[in-house]
Amino acid sequence: MAEARTPQKSLPKINKVDQRFWDGAAAGKLLLQKCKSCGKVQFFPRVACVDCFGELDWIESKGSGKVHTFTLVRVPRNPAFKEETPIYYINVILDEGVIIESRLVGDSRDKVKMGDRVKAVFLETHDPKIKLPCFELA
Amino acid sequence: MRRSKVCFVGYGSTEYSRNSEASALSYYADAIRDALKRTGIDKKEIRGFSITTQASPDYSPHVAEQLGLEVDWVLNGDYGGAGGVMSVRRAADAIECGHLDLALLVGGNSFDRSTPTQRQLEYQRGNFVDVFGYGGPNSLMALIQRLHMNNYGTTLEQIGKIAIAQRFNALNNPQALFRQAMSMQDYLNSRMISDPIRLFDCVMPCSGAECILLASEQKAKQITDKLVYLVTDAEISHYQVANMLPDKTTFGQKVVGERIFSEIKREDIDLFEIYDDYPIAVMIQIEDLGYCQKGEGGKFVDHHDLTYNGDFPVNTGGGELSVGQAGLAGGYLHLVEALRQLRCEAEGHQVKKADRALVTGIGWLNYGRNLGTTAALVMERRK
Repeated sequence: MAEARTPQKSLPKINKVDQRFWDGAAAGKLLLQKCKSCGKVQFFPRVACVDCFGELDWIESKGSGKVHTFTLVRVPRNPAFKEETPIYYINVILDEGVIIESRLVGDSRDKVKMGDRVKAVFLETHDPKIKLPCFELA
Repeated sequence: MRRSKVCFVGYGSTEYSRNSEASALSYYADAIRDALKRTGIDKKEIRGFSITTQASPDYSPHVAEQLGLEVDWVLNGDYGGAGGVMSVRRAADAIECGHLDLALLVGGNSFDRSTPTQRQLEYQRGNFVDVFGYGGPNSLMALIQRLHMNNYGTTLEQIGKIAIAQRFNALNNPQALFRQAMSMQDYLNSRMISDPIRLFDCVMPCSGAECILLASEQKAKQITDKLVYLVTDAEISHYQVANMLPDKTTFGQKVVGERIFSEIKREDIDLFEIYDDYPIAVMIQIEDLGYCQKGEGGKFVDHHDLTYNGDFPVNTGGGELSVGQAGLAGGYLHLVEALRQLRCEAEGHQVKKADRALVTGIGWLNYGRNLGTTAALVMERRK
């Protein structure tokens, strides 16, 4: 105990509510929730429709959308990410009509502009069971 | 809602420190001692207690016990940067209902590392934000600022003018951690933190505490001859929550402003203590509160003098940007400064006509939208 450890990059603490989402991501699928009653699509994973409180299904997103806004992170909250700065942290409007917060990766990321089209890619982590849904310029 | 029988009767503050490791509890105690000394109130008269903090792990009743407070009303004001205003609202409700006649509301923070206080990130922040290497609140506000600049043509110079005016206001405030003038070049050249947020858009985290005493009108008249009334107040949490394509550049303050200004005229406010975790957040609130159209905040700033002797005084003691952000005391700093102004006790930065102040609070930058909690109140000095 109490030995000095180098900080690890953050991973999700997967729980009952978002297990399906992370299972999907590990299989290369971007999953969203859709209300069984009113049909509203929503993200992040919750236990009820944010609009009508209906029960939820999961649907697969096409994984395409456009850059809503972005920032170049110079000082990450978790210092384990420092070596990867600047990190292109983005909000994407998916074609299904929901905002997802994520990270822009890929060699051309420094060309990013507001409104650029993007597509989902799944980034491996230090846990072989967890992949992160990120985006590249389309 | 409209109020008529609740008064702000006193305040207390501590020095702010960037390196003190004194306990958070001792900071609360220092702020409370300052308030008791200023008002001459006996601690035993206090019948209500609220604490807003991330720095002490205990629940609000435990903090009250530590401070030796036997009370009829206790509250954990855990509403982020809106904690000050929202706690005042709850205390005012309790006073109006007759549950108590004097409440003490405290916000504070310290870097005491002997007390384990590191909270886990909440679910959505931990699982869907932090995993991508974001830079804390700086990155989340940067997303909003970039949209505002992109959609409305807002310039860095317009945003910087807010930080610079607030620094001017801080020059004669002994509590402020930053008391050297800031030029536009200083602002523009400050180190990039999370584009377009620069170092001088950010607050300095520090140790410190603030407190407010709220009383029934009857009790207030026994305590002070400087009567400052709570006139009207409003809040909304999770504005636009069911909208998956929300307007990130409009906060819940739009709704709050509509409610506040159905009770009082906008032009009757003399000074504005606007929650300032970032200059862009001040600009957006000026828009949302209806002092100009959405997207016109940059032009509004161009055409007004935001210093304490200007025509639209904002954050007259320097705000969190120049005083420092003692954690969730941030939401109390604005209340204390407003009260200081209305009691004509703001030596060196006193607004000449200070009869009515608007105080706002915003808290909890949330997923995909902007602020989770938003609130505001108006206080008024009466002879």
